[in-house]
Amino acid sequence: MAKHLPRKAEVVVVGGGVVGLSIAGFLAEGGREVVLLDAGGPAGSTANAGSLHVQMQSRFLRMYPEQVPALESGLHLYPKAVDFWHDLERKLNADFGMKMTGGLMVAETEDQLDFLRRKAARERALGLDSEILERSDLDRVAPYIGPAVIGAELCANEGKLNPLQANAAIRGWAQSCGVAIHDGVHVAALSPQGSGFIVETGGGKVHADQVVIAAAYGSRTLLEPFGYELAIEAEPLHVNITERAAPFIGHLVQHAERPITLKQFASGHVVIGGGWPANLGSERGFPTVELASIIGNATLAQHIVPTVSNLHIIRTWAGVNTPTDGKGILGPVEGVPGLFAAIPGDAGYTLGPLCASLVAECVLGKKPAEDIGPYSPARFRTPAAARPKADAHLSAL
Amino acid sequence: MPSDKAADRPITDPEGSTIALSSANAGRAGARTEIAFEGAPVPARIGESLASALAGAGHLVTRNTARGSERGVFCGMGVCRDCLVDIGERRNIRACMTRVEPGMVVIRAGGESPPRQPTNGSTFRQLDSVQVDHPDVFVIGAGPAGLSAALSARLAGARVLLADERAKPGGQYFKQSSAGAPIDAQQEEGRRLIDRAIEAGVEIWSDTLVWGGFEPLDFAVNRAGGILVVRPRTAVYAGGAYEKPWPVPGWTLPGVMTTGAAQTMWRSDRRVAGKRILIAGNGPLNLQLASELIAGGAEVVAVVESAPPPRSFMNAARMALNAPGLVVQGLRYLASCRRAGVPVYYASHVGEIAQTASGLKVQVAGAQERSLVADIVCLGYGFLPSNELLRAMGARCSYDSGAGHAVVERNGECETSIAGLFAIGDCTGLNGARVALAEGTLAGEAAARHAGFSTSGTHSVRKASASLRRHRRFQKALWSVYWPSVKTAPTSDDTIICRCEEVSRGAVLSALEEGYRAAGSIKQRTRLGMGHCQGRYCGTILSALLEHRGHQVDDQSGFAPRFPVKPIPIGCLALDPAE
Ligand SMILES: Cc1cc2nc3c(=O)[nH]c(=O)nc-3n(C[C@H](O)[C@H](O)[C@H](O)COP(=O)(O)OP(=O)(O)OC[C@H]3O[C@@H](n4cnc5c(N)ncnc54)[C@H](O)[C@@H]3O)c2cc1C
Ligand SMILES: Cc1cc2nc3c(=O)[nH]c(=O)nc-3n(C[C@H](O)[C@H](O)[C@H](O)COP(=O)(O)OP(=O)(O)OC[C@H]3O[C@@H](n4cnc5c(N)ncnc54)[C@H](O)[C@@H]3O)c2cc1C
Ligand code: FES
Repeated sequence: MAKHLPRKAEVVVVGGGVVGLSIAGFLAEGGREVVLLDAGGPAGSTANAGSLHVQMQSRFLRMYPEQVPALESGLHLYPKAVDFWHDLERKLNADFGMKMTGGLMVAETEDQLDFLRRKAARERALGLDSEILERSDLDRVAPYIGPAVIGAELCANEGKLNPLQANAAIRGWAQSCGVAIHDGVHVAALSPQGSGFIVETGGGKVHADQVVIAAAYGSRTLLEPFGYELAIEAEPLHVNITERAAPFIGHLVQHAERPITLKQFASGHVVIGGGWPANLGSERGFPTVELASIIGNATLAQHIVPTVSNLHIIRTWAGVNTPTDGKGILGPVEGVPGLFAAIPGDAGYTLGPLCASLVAECVLGKKPAEDIGPYSPARFRTPAAARPKADAHLSAL
Repeated sequence: MPSDKAADRPITDPEGSTIALSSANAGRAGARTEIAFEGAPVPARIGESLASALAGAGHLVTRNTARGSERGVFCGMGVCRDCLVDIGERRNIRACMTRVEPGMVVIRAGGESPPRQPTNGSTFRQLDSVQVDHPDVFVIGAGPAGLSAALSARLAGARVLLADERAKPGGQYFKQSSAGAPIDAQQEEGRRLIDRAIEAGVEIWSDTLVWGGFEPLDFAVNRAGGILVVRPRTAVYAGGAYEKPWPVPGWTLPGVMTTGAAQTMWRSDRRVAGKRILIAGNGPLNLQLASELIAGGAEVVAVVESAPPPRSFMNAARMALNAPGLVVQGLRYLASCRRAGVPVYYASHVGEIAQTASGLKVQVAGAQERSLVADIVCLGYGFLPSNELLRAMGARCSYDSGAGHAVVERNGECETSIAGLFAIGDCTGLNGARVALAEGTLAGEAAARHAGFSTSGTHSVRKASASLRRHRRFQKALWSVYWPSVKTAPTSDDTIICRCEEVSRGAVLSALEEGYRAAGSIKQRTRLGMGHCQGRYCGTILSALLEHRGHQVDDQSGFAPRFPVKPIPIGCLALDPAE
């Protein structure tokens, strides 16, 4: 870690999650002098569940039906994002603990299975490798699934990785490319100066020619002075983790109607998450878990995979997720030359490195490999006069 | 033999009790029986700890780690989880916290054995279907502190629930014999206190683990194979202490255990884990164990004490003035070592332990450098407070850099920064059983008062205040006599500092080199502290390492404690307690 904050930098990246670290690395590879500032706040990247999501998650379809068109419009990015993870692992010559096992979304009732049939058909039309498994198929490919389940959707593009391994490798790579990482530095505000920006931090000011905002839930207040009101939230979520066991759960497992993701890491630990709530815990500076989520989330897991009932939960934690309006917020901030946003959207860990590379290409003045027009921050531009105040608990974070 | 009959009673480790054995099977405590370990018969006594029975039969290896190393009983009190075994269909059960039942079939825990199909249901359930108990005062921990707090709150008229993870009330100092009758005055005093609490109407829940605390004052409790919520008006946490790690090369070898572990085997179960025993550490408990084992006929190789020989007259006099009885007792322990010809090496410490064909070879460093051989090496280098539950609940702490741990802040009534939550005894700092008893009397009364009962500064409360002042002075003098000549263990780069995840000191140093600073990020980088003991040992080692390298260490710089404070089987969450 670099010691003193420099007074000047070509590019400042705000936020050191998977997106910020990856962008910083790509920019340094592209020849830029990069300073990365991270507040050390609760990050989704250090507290996520390591699922590589591709199929549409039932949680979002249920919670935000109005976002389905946005979700579908971005669906093609997910299989590409998974491929991108593979390429990155190869490029960094690292071990992310990746496994492409396919993902099961299980159904307990005929209604749920019908819902999955319709979902799989739409996903197939959009290019995913999704099929429906009847109970007899499940007995063959996933015998660990309990008797309550009558069928499932299998999406072959899905898998898992170990975020701890991936984060460490990406961070090490970024540093080796020359990125100066400053931990524990909170960016209070950005203001334009000349052709660049003044980045105001607790530890002094940094002048930057270009700034990339990859600060997840922290991005909203930073963009507000520029006349943007991002539809993002800080969403604290719960994860349970069990002791090690010999491998017995192959797939990434989800449920057609209830929030859950369940998988076993290569280390043998079973990670159970999938959107159960936690507390933002703003007075304590980090999110805290709720008893209801420990009980509900873990017993739902044993309902689907009965053998986990014999495993001990050794730890629970809560992390802060940053949901958007259903798709990413990526690319140049219109009207503010030199300023860029990189907020990946749902299943943002899966999308992280791909989104980072797309935004890095913009910063480097290249044409991104994907059309990122649909994800432009422009959709959140407001007339400056109608700018609302920052949400109290977001600024507390 | 799983069963769901109401008459059945749970028999074992509250973390692992998805099973209940029929009461018809339960024999008389102390009666001889036989169990199977790794396919061979092992003679045992009903009610003794499984760890004691195995050690008594010479089985020191209880589990294999993920990397294939052998481990055995280390803490003897349910913290380290190196004693994990599989019992029947249940996996990863702590042998030290599990009582022997006839016919148990036990194998070593492999760390990675596949879980078996459950026999009780696998239902999905939500919090609103979980039973809630509403006592006036909930006391957690039935050691001297918790017992006296429960008694005092009960005498003030409160309905008091007292929960403890262990099989019997008494905690460490008043640990009871598994066979029944007290073996000495210390157990006898404990027996009387337990009886008084029961007679007064305190409801005592043994084999009960309190693993979470949530706002406003809801406790998650595992008991009799199921879960319930306890929602009291006020709560008193009296979780005691556990032993400090002494991370030298070889400290993870089977046969190397804490002084407390050997003491528990002896005091509760009259078992000695091996023939030749070496006792090393800092403080009076080591001498006490030596003298007890000598009286029991064991061969004590030596006592290795890191403090210099006692010589400060002022401190000795201060101790004698404040607690003459305890000083006389200490001198008696020393005399019994001398009589038995057991050498006491002062200003010396264990520098390294290695497994050899003739036993554990111990390199003693310091003033009395030498090499000794023993079957069992006891390490008792002081204590750390078990304050994880309090910290995880958000009670304000400060960091005591001399002691190397966070200290929970309390007001004059022992109330923490969380209204209605009191903390007493060794979980607040290491002040011994007498202070624990006195704080219990005071805090128990205060907890009852805050729960709405009128109390009137009774005689016993005034007496407790005086005793508290006296014994806090005694403890201060005691620890200045026992000021160690070296405070941290002489680790090398390949020394394991995280027992659970097998992380070496070298791996942590490389993470520091890479720029990782905060305990949380070092944890994520190295897996240090991610194991089943939740960083209870490596957390303090890491803090010492960081401090040694000039990093600022405070109450926020350790690992953030997480729920469950001890592991719980998922199956228990779906069930109500089996009573
Ligand atoms: C419990 C949980 C489980 C999840 N599981 C999965 C999963 O299985 N699969 C998946 O694909 N996704 C998952 N997600 C979502 C995913 O983790 C996130 O979408 C993703 O990590 C976001 O990465 P990021 O780099 O954009 O932001 P983050 O990783 O959240 O990082 C943002 C960083 O910005 C910093 N920051 C914020 N404000 C400022 C400021 N003003 N100044 C300086 N720094 C600032 C913060 O300190 C933080 O380090 C999960 C999320 C949670 C919470
Ligand atoms: C192994 C060991 C042996 C010791 N032997 C002696 C000795 O012989 N002489 C001496 O003077 N001092 C001894 N001590 C020091 C001892 O800690 C104190 O003197 C005294 O016992 C402190 O009393 P206490 O009530 O604060 O804690 P303890 O006596 O330690 O009692 C704490 C109790 O809380 C229970 N508990 C903790 N957390 C939970 C939870 N989450 N849920 C349910 N129950 C919980 C524990 O099971 C334990 O029974 C010993 C300490 C240890 C660790
Ligand atoms: S010896 Fe049983 S948990 Fe430590």
